[in-house]
Amino acid sequence: MMTVLILAGELDELLELRTVADQIGAQDVEALVPDALVDGDTLSSLGLKRVYLLEGFEETPPEELVKIVIDLVKKRGHGLVVGPSKKIYRELFARTAQNLSSPCLTDCTSLESVEGSLVAERPFLGGGYVERLAIKRLPALLTIQLMGRRPQTREKGSLEMVRLGRLSTEDLRLRRVAVEKVERRGADLAKARVVVSVGRGFKRREDLKMAEDLAQLLGAELACSRPIASDLGWMPEEKHVGLSGKWISPQLYIAIGISGQVQHMVGVRNSRIIVAVNNDTSAPIHREADYSVPLDLYQFIPALIKVLRERGARVA
Amino acid sequence: MHVFVKQVPDISTLEYDPSTLAPRLEKATPRLGESDLVALEAALRIKESWGGEVVVLSAGDGLNELVLREALAMGADRCFYVSDPILSRADAWVTANILSRLSKKAGGADLLLCGEASSDSGNYQLGPRLSEAMGIPCITHAVSVELDGKVVRVRRSLEDRTEILESEAPLIITASLELASPRLPSLLMIKAASKKPMTRVDISELGLEKDLLEPLVERLSVRVLKTARRNIVLDGGPLECAERLVESLVREGVLRA
Repeated sequence: MMTVLILAGELDELLELRTVADQIGAQDVEALVPDALVDGDTLSSLGLKRVYLLEGFEETPPEELVKIVIDLVKKRGHGLVVGPSKKIYRELFARTAQNLSSPCLTDCTSLESVEGSLVAERPFLGGGYVERLAIKRLPALLTIQLMGRRPQTREKGSLEMVRLGRLSTEDLRLRRVAVEKVERRGADLAKARVVVSVGRGFKRREDLKMAEDLAQLLGAELACSRPIASDLGWMPEEKHVGLSGKWISPQLYIAIGISGQVQHMVGVRNSRIIVAVNNDTSAPIHREADYSVPLDLYQFIPALIKVLRERGARVA
Repeated sequence: MHVFVKQVPDISTLEYDPSTLAPRLEKATPRLGESDLVALEAALRIKESWGGEVVVLSAGDGLNELVLREALAMGADRCFYVSDPILSRADAWVTANILSRLSKKAGGADLLLCGEASSDSGNYQLGPRLSEAMGIPCITHAVSVELDGKVVRVRRSLEDRTEILESEAPLIITASLELASPRLPSLLMIKAASKKPMTRVDISELGLEKDLLEPLVERLSVRVLKTARRNIVLDGGPLECAERLVESLVREGVLRA
């Protein structure tokens, strides 16, 4: 019987990853989480056998976490290790996998058990394609693309908590000389019903105010394409939607000044309605939108705000 | 310096077979990966500021020397590559095993750079796997790299923080797309590249044990993702368009007015 180890830094991640273990009918599920995540009530209704609480989880670099994961997997014999698709976990899992001569798959969108072997799907060729992969050796380490799945509620069960002490950072080959935390703003994009998203069509950082006003009026969350966060630094990286960022599934996605490269679209494909505002009529976003507005965003957004105000329109 | 580059299909011109939904990879134009070129550009800038030699390493099935020469045209000095059918089935494990040995075969390096993820598979695994295979520390997702005497200082960008890390050589660095903009080689550089040495290494020369070449993952199929959208184009001036959009969204039930 397959045993699973879930790694998660946040409760929402743990909840979603728990559904992955259900999909393959895992009986024995354990989790490794930061010690700050102790929420006995929630943890005990997740049907977990054992939870390892790690002091300093957040600050521990991947090359150190590798030792803990290898140790646990070897001792407990997990067949599968899952974590959220974030940079730190992709690195941690790739390292652990190399060390254990194991397969590692990143950004998995589905996992199932087919005639006793695990089959996963993940984005391929920039996100415009899906590859279906059979896992040939266990343990396997998989990062899962979070998409707001929710686990079934269970009766509270007995749960064993194991505290793991802080690791000594004995690998002195890498020195962390500075860490700048990015301040969190707004709610989780993955849960937002309406998302207003901005791209390179905005000429100046100050102009994002227009999009902010629109988002506020609609009760929407603000997001962006990769260049806005990574190249220009106008928005934090956690607001970046696309292949290497967040995958979202709102009721309404309003893309403003976004060209719609395949790497961006893969992150918003599950939106119910996509509205594209872009005066470049050849931009690929128009082919993947329900409603296309081929106008200059600098003229259209103020007009849209005006109409929404006049009509007192709200998110339903 | 060693820079790892991968020959990938140009995704922007990729087509798929409408009956099988599979990509027509054999018809795609081969090119070097996007973040691989960024890693190469970063290495070339280090060479220009602090000196050193830039050696390009690659492994794949049916590699095209002309594609690899693009890296030499940008300014790399030499190239070592493995071209073998075994790589058509290779997963991240096999690729890392081959490239770590190829790097040793090419004489090792103080700095080893690669893209954070390939343009086709997007695994994000090569740097970290090489780190474990070669016993060399690795800094992923670099957005800046500078040398200060013997110290390499790297700024890396994560979802919730940026970090500045320091290390001494040897060090592996994976390049985020924001690290540098790859240069376009001039005609003169392209000409010069045709004289630069290229060494094809046979996979048997790497002394890899059988299990290091056995993939742990098998690709069953690839299919295009298609989403049907309504593609309704709203015409008229800004106010007219805004009215129509709001009406449509009310009708769809996502807005109330």
